[in-house]
Amino acid sequence: MAPPVSGPEPISPNGDEGRLLASIRAILLSEEQERLRGLALILENLRGDHASQLAALQSEAAALRAELERVRADARATDALARDLQAELEILRRKTQADSEGMVARVTPVLGDMIGRAIRDSRDEMAEAIGPLMGEAIRVQVRESRNDMVEALYPVIGATVQRSVAEFAREMQRNVDARLKATFGPEGALRTAAARLRGVSPGELAVREALPFRIRELFVIQHGSGLLVAHSHPGSADLSDTALISAMLTAIRDFVRDTFGPAADGQAKELDEVQSGDNRIIISSGRTVYAAVVIEGIEPEGFRAQLREFVSNLHVKHERALRLYTGDPATLPNLQPKIARLLAETVGSASGPRPLSRAQRYWLGGAGLVGILLAGLACFYFQFTVALMPMAFPSATPTLTPTHTPTPTATTTATPTLTPSATATPTFTPTWTPTHTATPTPTFTPTHTPTPSQTPTATLTPTPIKAEARGNVWVRPGPTPAAARLEVLLRDTPVTVLAIYGPWAQVEWFLDGQRQVGWVPTYWLTLREPVPADRVTPTPTRSR
Amino acid sequence: MTVVQQKICLLGEFAVGKTSLVRRFVEGRFDDRYLSTIGVKISRKALPRPAGELLLLIWDLAGGDEFSLQSSYLRGAAGALIACDLTRASTLAAFDRYTEQLWALNPGAPVVFIGNKVDLVAERAITDAELLAASQRLGGPCVRTSAKTGEQVEAAFALLAEQLEARR
Repeated sequence: MAPPVSGPEPISPNGDEGRLLASIRAILLSEEQERLRGLALILENLRGDHASQLAALQSEAAALRAELERVRADARATDALARDLQAELEILRRKTQADSEGMVARVTPVLGDMIGRAIRDSRDEMAEAIGPLMGEAIRVQVRESRNDMVEALYPVIGATVQRSVAEFAREMQRNVDARLKATFGPEGALRTAAARLRGVSPGELAVREALPFRIRELFVIQHGSGLLVAHSHPGSADLSDTALISAMLTAIRDFVRDTFGPAADGQAKELDEVQSGDNRIIISSGRTVYAAVVIEGIEPEGFRAQLREFVSNLHVKHERALRLYTGDPATLPNLQPKIARLLAETVGSASGPRPLSRAQRYWLGGAGLVGILLAGLACFYFQFTVALMPMAFPSATPTLTPTHTPTPTATTTATPTLTPSATATPTFTPTWTPTHTATPTPTFTPTHTPTPSQTPTATLTPTPIKAEARGNVWVRPGPTPAAARLEVLLRDTPVTVLAIYGPWAQVEWFLDGQRQVGWVPTYWLTLREPVPADRVTPTPTRSR
Repeated sequence: MTVVQQKICLLGEFAVGKTSLVRRFVEGRFDDRYLSTIGVKISRKALPRPAGELLLLIWDLAGGDEFSLQSSYLRGAAGALIACDLTRASTLAAFDRYTEQLWALNPGAPVVFIGNKVDLVAERAITDAELLAASQRLGGPCVRTSAKTGEQVEAAFALLAEQLEARR
C-alpha cells in the first residue's frame, strides 16, 4: 500500500484561492504520486520474489543437509568396513606368518596356473610387465645377497657353462687330432718349420690353429649399388634375402663412411669389421666390389690376407664385368669356383689338414728337387773318393802283404771265420769290398780263394787269443754300429778274439754252455795278448 | 630361373607417405627404425617377368631438406619413384631437386612421379593438372596413389619396373 501523499499545508486567505492552490498542488504532485505508487508496487513484487527464493533456498539447504547427513553416514559405514577389513587383513597376515608354508602350498598351484596362462596368452605383455621388476629384483638380490644368488644360480649357470666349455673343448680336440694326424706329412713339416721361425712351439701353433672357426656366409657385393654379385652359403639361402642383406650392409657402410668422413690421411674410412655376439662380418674392399664374410669363432692367421688376395684377384681378372654389372647375372663371369677355392683354403686350414697352397707346393717341389740333387752329388762324391783311394794311397796295402806270406795257414784260418759272420748281415758284405783293394799285390789274392771250402770251427782252436770285456757292451752281428743289437756281453766275461776288422773285434764266448759269436768294439776289450796281424783284416781306414 | 636385381630409390619430402607406400607394396625384413637411424630402409619385391624374375631392392630414403638426404645412397640406382603429398603444395616443388640429385649420380635413370594421399579429396592442394605439368616437365609419367587405400600403389611400381626393363 502506497503511503498517502501529503503536501504542505495550504495557506488560503479564502476558499477559492485555497481550492485553486489545492488543485495546482494536486496537478504538480500527481506525477510524483504516481511514481511513488509504481515504486511501491515494485517493492511489493520484490518482497514477494525474495520470499519465494528464500523458501526455495531453504528447501535446497534442507536437501543438502539431508544429503550431507547421508554421506556422513556412508563414510561412517565405509570407515567401519575399512576397519573390519583391516582387522581381517591383520588376522590374515598373522595367519600367513604363522603358517607361511601352508599358505604357499595353497597359493602356489593357483598362482602357477595363473602365471602360466598369462605367459601363454600374452607373452609379450608379461615380459614387458615383469621385465623391469625382475631386473631390479635380481640387481637388488645380487647386491644384497650375492652368495645366495650364486648358490641358487650355480646349478643352472654352472651346467650351461660346463656344457659350453665341454663342447668347445671337444671341437678343439677334434681340430688338434686332425692336425696331429698330419704332423708327419709335408704339411706337418712345414707347420713345424713355420712355428720354429715364429719362435713358438709347434704345439702352441697347433692349438692356435685349432681354435674354432667357421665361415657362415660369403658375399661379394658391388660398391654403391649394393647389388649382390656372388654369394656362398653352406646351406641353401634365398637370393632375395641375401640381396636384401647385401644392400643393407652397403647402406650401413655408406652411412659409416659419410658420418665419420675421411681419415687424417685423406683416405675414406671404411667399415672393415662388424661384430654381433659370436658372429663377425669381416670385410675386404676393392675398387668395384667388396667381400663380406660372416664367420664364427677366431679366424686363422693369414685369413684376412687371403681375403684381400681373393678380392684383388677378382679385380685383376674381372674388373670391367664387375664395374658394369647392373644386376643381370648373365653379364657376370662364374665366380663360384674362386669362392669355393677360397673357402676350401680358409676353412681347411681351420678344420683339418690344410691343402697346400700353390706357392707352398712350388717351394716343396723345389726343396725336394734340391734334396735329390744333393743326395746324388753326395753319392757321386763318395764313390769317387772310394775309387781314388788306392791310387791316392798306394803304399797302404803292401805293408800288409808280407805278413801274409810267412803264415799262410793263419791266413786261411782267420779268413774263414769272417765268412759266416759276413753272411749274417747284408750290411757286412759291402764293408768287405775294400779288402779287394789288396788285389794289386798278387800274393794276397790267392789266399782268399780257398776260404769257402774251409770249416771255421776246426781251425780256430790252435791259436786262441784271450780277452775280457771291459764293461757291459752290446754284441752285434757285424762290425758296424748300424748292425742290430744281439745281446749284451757282460763285463769281465772272458772271450776269444777271432778276428779284427777296423775298430771291431769278432769275439767268441760261452754262455750256459752255448757258444756265442758276435762283434764288439775293441775298445771294450782288454786283450791279454796282442792280436797277430794275420787276424786283422785290412780296411780302407786302417790303410790310411 | 634368372633373377635380375635392380636398385630403386623412393624419394620425396618429409611425410609425403613414402614409407607407407613401400609398406603397402613390399615384404620387408628390416625394421622401420633403420630409416630414422641411418636414413634409409631397404625392402624388396620380386616381380615375375617372362624371362625370369625382377627383384626390386627399394631404398626408402628419409626425406626432408636437401642436406638431410645422403646422396651416397643414390649411387647405383637404376630408377626412382619421387612422391609428393597432394594435400601440401610445397611438396610438389621438391620434384625438381630430387630429380636433379638422382640424375647427377645416375644420368637418365627412369623416374615415376607419385601424387600420394589421393583419398583426401577435400584437402587437395595440388590439382591433377599441376601434377601432370610437373611430371611432364621433368620427363616422367605420374600416378596418383593412396597408400591408405592401396589405390594405384602397385601400378606405380609396375610402371617403373616396365621402364627399367625397357632400358635394359
